Amino acid sequence: MEEKEQLLEQMRKAVIEFEEERVKELANKWVELGYDANEAIFEGLAAGMEVVGELFAKNEYFVPEVLMCADALYAGLDILRPHIKAEDKTETKGVVVIGTVEGDVHDIGKNLVKLMFEVAGFEVHDLGKDVPLEKFVEEQLRTDADLVCLSAMMTTTMPGMKKVIEMIRERNPNVKIMIGGAPVSEKTVEMYGADATGKDAASALEEAIKMVSSLREMKRKKEI
Amino acid sequence: MKHRVIFQPSGRRGEVEDGKTLREAAIELGVGIEQVCGGKGVCGKCKVQIQEGYFAKFDVRSSMSNLSPMSEEEVRHLKDGEVENSFRLACAARIHGDVLVFVPEESRVGGQVVRKAAGEISVELDPAVRKYYVELPLPSLEDPEGDFERLLRALKEQHGLENLGIDYPALKALPQVLREGKWKVTVAVWQGREIISVEPGYNERTLGVAFDVGTTTVVGYLTDIATGEVLAVDSMMNPQVSFGEDVMARITYAMEHEDGLRKMHEAIIGGINKIVSNLCEKAKVSSDEILELVLVGNTAMHHIYLNIYPEYLGVSPFTPAVHRSIDIKARDLRINAAPGANVHVLPIEAGFVGADNMGVVVALEPEKKDEVHLIIDIGTNGEIVLGNKEKLLSTSCATGPAFEGAQITHGMRAAPGAIERVRIDAETKEPRYKVIGKEEWSDEAKSEARGICGSGIIEAVAEMFKAGIIKNSGAFNTSLETPRIRRGEKGQPEYVLARAEETAIGKDITVTQSDVRAVQLAKGALYTGCKILMKRYGVSEVDKVVLAGAFGSYIDKEASMVIGMFPDCDLSRVVAVGNAAGDGARIALLNRRKREEANRVARRIKYIELTVDPDFQTEFMQAMYFPHMKDRFPHIQHILDKIPSR
Repeated sequence: MEEKEQLLEQMRKAVIEFEEERVKELANKWVELGYDANEAIFEGLAAGMEVVGELFAKNEYFVPEVLMCADALYAGLDILRPHIKAEDKTETKGVVVIGTVEGDVHDIGKNLVKLMFEVAGFEVHDLGKDVPLEKFVEEQLRTDADLVCLSAMMTTTMPGMKKVIEMIRERNPNVKIMIGGAPVSEKTVEMYGADATGKDAASALEEAIKMVSSLREMKRKKEI
Repeated sequence: MKHRVIFQPSGRRGEVEDGKTLREAAIELGVGIEQVCGGKGVCGKCKVQIQEGYFAKFDVRSSMSNLSPMSEEEVRHLKDGEVENSFRLACAARIHGDVLVFVPEESRVGGQVVRKAAGEISVELDPAVRKYYVELPLPSLEDPEGDFERLLRALKEQHGLENLGIDYPALKALPQVLREGKWKVTVAVWQGREIISVEPGYNERTLGVAFDVGTTTVVGYLTDIATGEVLAVDSMMNPQVSFGEDVMARITYAMEHEDGLRKMHEAIIGGINKIVSNLCEKAKVSSDEILELVLVGNTAMHHIYLNIYPEYLGVSPFTPAVHRSIDIKARDLRINAAPGANVHVLPIEAGFVGADNMGVVVALEPEKKDEVHLIIDIGTNGEIVLGNKEKLLSTSCATGPAFEGAQITHGMRAAPGAIERVRIDAETKEPRYKVIGKEEWSDEAKSEARGICGSGIIEAVAEMFKAGIIKNSGAFNTSLETPRIRRGEKGQPEYVLARAEETAIGKDITVTQSDVRAVQLAKGALYTGCKILMKRYGVSEVDKVVLAGAFGSYIDKEASMVIGMFPDCDLSRVVAVGNAAGDGARIALLNRRKREEANRVARRIKYIELTVDPDFQTEFMQAMYFPHMKDRFPHIQHILDKIPSR
């Protein structure tokens, strides 16, 4: 028991200090010892990444560190994922469609937000960058996603988000929509009729969790 | 319904439609307010103060209650004390009644130091316009040939010119001019094929103007194109600045406003005409004598001054309306010059790499050299050309406005009062600095600093790194014991560069953790651009680094290498060439073969889109470190070795 707790602690530390090789080593050891992979993902890797998110929010960590932590985390995930028990697989917090809108080829910010969602246990469908606007609508319908996240880094591509929002609302008014990117502000959210934005990846996740639970609540009430 | 709005200290006033923002009112009334983000509520630079009360002089009862309620982003950007003192963001506050608005100095556009003078250029004189003096035989009943044909005959006999056409305004004026000159006239011929003006008598003076239309500054060089002599230089802030400070903000303005393109086009043509009239006044000539003009500008400026809709430049795959050079009559653009004057617009490479970059290439001619050149034009948009006579690659990277002092807590333009030089003692962590407009350093006289400009922020960050105040990751070293490092607003670390009592703004001027982050993003983008081009070219080092653009002349070479703005190179091989875009425009004005060369080179330069390179994210991440996460800097290793606790 003590060894398990120790391993998790080391795993968290290795993620925070972006020691990719160390994470791999610890994940392999965890699997060898026959512990529950899901536990390592959530109590080890994800817990470490949460601390990274806090450091980022405090400006102590910047994009390079977060990306390196992400590499370490993904290295661990690759080892642990094949060992997740079948009954744990269905359990997700929500389904998310994410992408950078048409005309825009910047995706580092979007990748950070995606990472936070994955860490938090969301099922994420990443459409990539320069995504045709209709593709968001199709993918939302196909995956029955609770949340659609749109990213734009340029003021010239930002208006594309407004069009996507209108198209999605028309087909499916209950979907929650988050927008993000350097030029996006609370005012943009209001102007475009989105539901929220976050000033960074960590606060985007926080907003998303709030929205998805309220959406679930709504659905449950409808079913009753 | 309309309301009365008055802006101070300019005193501009007018009636503004209900519901418009103060920013829109300012644009309508011609008041320059800083708006780095183009009115998106992101930059917080457009702070203005509402004056409460009744102002008899204007018969206006101004009140905060005449504006929309305080929005969330205003609350975020306004500091304690500002809210109570009726400060608002001009882009957010909507007008619902009469208001008197004070624009504080920090928010005011203008007063910038123009750093674009005419340097020496050497070029063979072969202008597009040449003048020919001819004496015509008088017509008679025996020889009643038409005036134009008579002129052609004389030009052929006396100068061997054939196959000439004539521009309509010149033809219209011809009968009177010939008779006024008593059949002795001077003819201006464009490109050896078109008569563009006929003047009575002998006049050898042939005037042209080269224009460098920058995003922020516009410069014109009035030149005698027969001799190459620069007769006058004049510059002004690009009047489009009030529509947004960077090219993206301008393109967006054109997209979001039906008459946006027209307004910006008219603004820049108005600016060009103002410069023309200033130049003529300085040189005591008439604008009717200007026979040829050359314009260079980045792709967005290019489209806007040609009145071409710029949206497609601003979205991937960033295609311009035209690549090759253009010749257009000045009258079609409503530029004040001789009625037949031609405007030559240099070619565009790709996307954001526009005609001003071509100006750089025309001036520096890397396509003729053996040495591998890395040419960096640093601005809001970094434009990079790499190569030699073997091949040439180019790219552009979004450096953001950090290098122009924007998005920096105490950032400002390069204007009097801006901190431009910084030194920090590695032992004591105490700074000394110099501001624009003062000879003395801060330890010699009260600085009266107002903020930090682009070259200042680069030096400040480089010095902070050298003194161990920030780590190579950019994070503050918070374990240092000095009152200069403290926790500022929102608990983030900051370095106090100037104390309130030394400054002209009555508050501390600091460099915050966010400022360092903004510099990391900007310099990381630039370095990544250089690195990916070098990788595609297949070189691990370059022979020469050329810093083009006015900004390049003002940044400290060593400081910029210490923070890793560009790859390692012998510092003596790093040169600043000043306003190479303006030089390129002047060269194209004086030599028409250079124009053809520019077209050829433009087609040879291969444009590389950075963001689709598979290594982009990794390269960018590593390039955000000071000077770099992995790459070595042998030429400044001795400086890096001295950094405490590394």
